[in-house]
Amino acid sequence: MANPSLIAGERGVDHAPPVVRLRDRARPWLYLAPLIVALVVWVYGPLVFTGVLSFMSWNLTAPHPSWLGTANYSRLVHEPQFPHAARNTLVYAVVMLPFATVVPMALAIALWKRPGRVSTVYRTLLFLPVVLAPIATAITWQFLLDPLSGLVNVVAGWFGVGAHNWLGDPSSALYSVLLITSVKVVALNVLLFGAALANLERGLLEAAALDGATEWEITRHIVLPHLRRTVVLLGMLSLVVVWPWIFANVAVLTQGGPAGSTDNVYYRLFTYAFTFFDAGTASAAAVVITGALALVLGLGLLVAGRRRRAIA
Amino acid sequence: MPSPSATTRRIVGTVGRHAFLLGATAIMILPVLWALAASFKTPGGIFDSNPLPSPATLDNYRVATRDFPVWRLLINTTVMAAGVTLLQLLIAVPAAYALVRFPPRAHRVLVALIVITLLVPPQSLIIPLFLTISHLGWRNTFPGLILPQLYGTGLAVILLRDHIRAVPSTVLGAAVLDGARPGEVLRLVLLPLLRPALGAVAILLFITAWNEYLWPSLAAPDIDHATIQPGLAAFLTQEGPEYGPLLAGSMLATLPIVAVYLLASRRVTDAFMHSGLR
Repeated sequence: MANPSLIAGERGVDHAPPVVRLRDRARPWLYLAPLIVALVVWVYGPLVFTGVLSFMSWNLTAPHPSWLGTANYSRLVHEPQFPHAARNTLVYAVVMLPFATVVPMALAIALWKRPGRVSTVYRTLLFLPVVLAPIATAITWQFLLDPLSGLVNVVAGWFGVGAHNWLGDPSSALYSVLLITSVKVVALNVLLFGAALANLERGLLEAAALDGATEWEITRHIVLPHLRRTVVLLGMLSLVVVWPWIFANVAVLTQGGPAGSTDNVYYRLFTYAFTFFDAGTASAAAVVITGALALVLGLGLLVAGRRRRAIA
Repeated sequence: MPSPSATTRRIVGTVGRHAFLLGATAIMILPVLWALAASFKTPGGIFDSNPLPSPATLDNYRVATRDFPVWRLLINTTVMAAGVTLLQLLIAVPAAYALVRFPPRAHRVLVALIVITLLVPPQSLIIPLFLTISHLGWRNTFPGLILPQLYGTGLAVILLRDHIRAVPSTVLGAAVLDGARPGEVLRLVLLPLLRPALGAVAILLFITAWNEYLWPSLAAPDIDHATIQPGLAAFLTQEGPEYGPLLAGSMLATLPIVAVYLLASRRVTDAFMHSGLR
């Protein structure tokens, strides 16, 4: 633990003259001011702006918005596309969760257990999917999943599975987009779990091994508890950061189709705003999305916090 | 029942681990390898199910670099990503330092407000951000490209805060006792200690900005300031899709990032291990 007297102030505050006390009180805000300005200007301000716009009628090509009340919201609820997109979004989020947590964690632990040149090679290769341009990723999968000549169907044929139009069939398109995106999520999170593992004291494991603990017991009782915070953090962060990747794949490969099967609320929002230039409806969608996400993440934090207390 | 000997168990464990790693890695890099191979294919060959380019050609790279301003787009992307990374670090380092070393009374609320900004979906901000830079006349400018991306600064603050917390307070306390002012402690003691962590965070921020697709496509559609990610989409619309040059262009876009990673990753991970920071 840090020494409290060193946190409270760099110098003894108690007997300092008033000017020094004032400086000590002001100092944190001096260091924090640029951050506060940036977040107010680029996050909180725009959020409020979005909230106000959601009660307006504004075609972005027109000069001025006009007051509309809650009509944008009732439009979202009553037209079939948005509730449908919301259900799809839930499927996206739930299926993506293990690819953001369990899968990359297992890979990162396997890499970390035996450090060395081989692990470094794996780590470098696993990093490549993260940096392949989003649009190139989408185009590549378009070829790989091609119903006639795609490699996936060729390989599936070896196992006696008939050719399938993965992206053209409403029953498989959503899961195809999900799996394509999950490759990137896994690759990025292996890296981040690796960073969290770098902080784990190896001596602790050697001591446990000397005491006769098996590999599994070490993983179960030392490594996994060490990663709990990272799992919660990455699970929640993934609910926010995967959407740009999903967006690029949907925009290039399916445009929300076939039959709306890959549509999701973020793609809806973009369509309202930049296809129909309907800033009011798009803002209402943004408010609904942000509110729902806040609810989910808040509940998640509550559950995670309670469980941690129960264990400790 | 005799239990399997420790050696057998260890061999099974090693084989299992490698099978798992090998399988997962193969699945994950297959698309990257396919894209690399396809970037050397002829326009007809790309539709073959043979993943290898035969005959191989450099035509796609010629088209991407000669008929298309790929270098211009790469320079724009570098300026944007470097600008976003630098500004975020400049804002985040002092903020994280203050939150750890002299937290104000309200710091819990402040941290919560920072964490919330990480969880706000950027898509919900995009309309106001777009309207703001349009109003300021910042479309197709670097400030318009870079400054709104500061909405993500909270992530750098939270990551750096963890790293600064891990610096033993005795190290910084000693500097204070020697009479160093807070600014000097930050510059002369903390920053050198933080270099590996700063490197890791900088790489993460740079890659995120480099791969940004939606915001640059809205903020800078003109070629003068366009970035590579939306720029590549031009191959899909200009008189029919040109898949080969698109893939060649994206290989050129991926190369710098891989180089940065290869150069930096060894040093960053090594530094993590040896710095004594935990």
